[in-house]
Amino acid sequence: MILHTLNRSPLESTVYRQALRALADGDSLLLIEDGVLGALPAQQALWSALPGRLLALAEDLEARGLSEHCAPGVEVVDVDGFVRLTEEADRVVSWY
Amino acid sequence: MSEEPNGDSGDLLVILRHGPHGTSYLKEGLDTALVAAAFGRRVSLLFMASGVAALVPGQGAGPLGQKGTQPTLAMLEMYDIDRLFVDGAGLAELGVAPESLTPEATVIEGDAIAALMAEHALVLTF
Amino acid sequence: MRYAILLLGAPYSHQAAHSALRFARAVIARGHHLEAVFFYREGVHNAARLASPPQDEPHLVDGWTTLNQEHGVRLEVCIAAALRRGIVDADEAARHGKQGHSVQAPFELTGLGQLVDLGLECDRLITFGA
Repeated sequence: MILHTLNRSPLESTVYRQALRALADGDSLLLIEDGVLGALPAQQALWSALPGRLLALAEDLEARGLSEHCAPGVEVVDVDGFVRLTEEADRVVSWY
Repeated sequence: MSEEPNGDSGDLLVILRHGPHGTSYLKEGLDTALVAAAFGRRVSLLFMASGVAALVPGQGAGPLGQKGTQPTLAMLEMYDIDRLFVDGAGLAELGVAPESLTPEATVIEGDAIAALMAEHALVLTF
Repeated sequence: MRYAILLLGAPYSHQAAHSALRFARAVIARGHHLEAVFFYREGVHNAARLASPPQDEPHLVDGWTTLNQEHGVRLEVCIAAALRRGIVDADEAARHGKQGHSVQAPFELTGLGQLVDLGLECDRLITFGA
């Protein structure tokens, strides 16, 4: 299993499309930094074909005032959870 | 046109997502690949998105003499980097014919990209 | 587990540097061994000795230095990327006939081969890109 991180807003960058093309069944995609804008309900159509889990980093949501606006299907993890995800994954690939 | 990766596992997959000249991602990504190969690591390259532009023939130096990346690409074979892949979607978006790519690269699509990543111990994106 | 971090973002320009430092502390807090942070591309600016952020902002250069002093995390800066961008240690300054130098100890200039070794020898390499 690969953990993919995405740190760019889907409103500003199409790098999320590269991440989606590279995701395998069972991989996870963690939204960090400006990537957490992809956790908003209005952006969820982007992830309809996501073969794995969609997560977002709690601290980056919180700093942007978005904690209460996160879509229900998105799993929120803090930085400790981020490290735990990297322990569980075979490797980590960053999309930026 | 699409082809599965050949199943050989490699040490390092460098994913190149930017074209020449506009930024140094491509150059510094290629430098990483060359250094790894020079230290005896097995290296593969995957060109995605704007990175496909790296393979368009006929590139030159910039107007101030900025070095392009095509001379580096021409050296890959000397470094035993012969596993070059290109994302079919990126190729289509750019409207470039696969047979015109210099150097040649194998077109991959869909699940083959994830499979290629899984075959390498380390994946670096530039 | 043995971890390494690759940082590609300049401090104060992009959140990547803050994210990497925060992640580094969390890795150590979970009991892992953080072998090194490798600074490449714009990330080399994290080694800038003369960085003087306002006092009410996090001091990233000091943050990295503390990580080295308290946990032995090596701070390795790609020499080719650094020299191009004016990040030069005393040895390289002398070699290039420059006065002064700009690398904060204990950051050290090293080759790109070191990044590949870290990536393949550590259990995990996490990239913070920009």
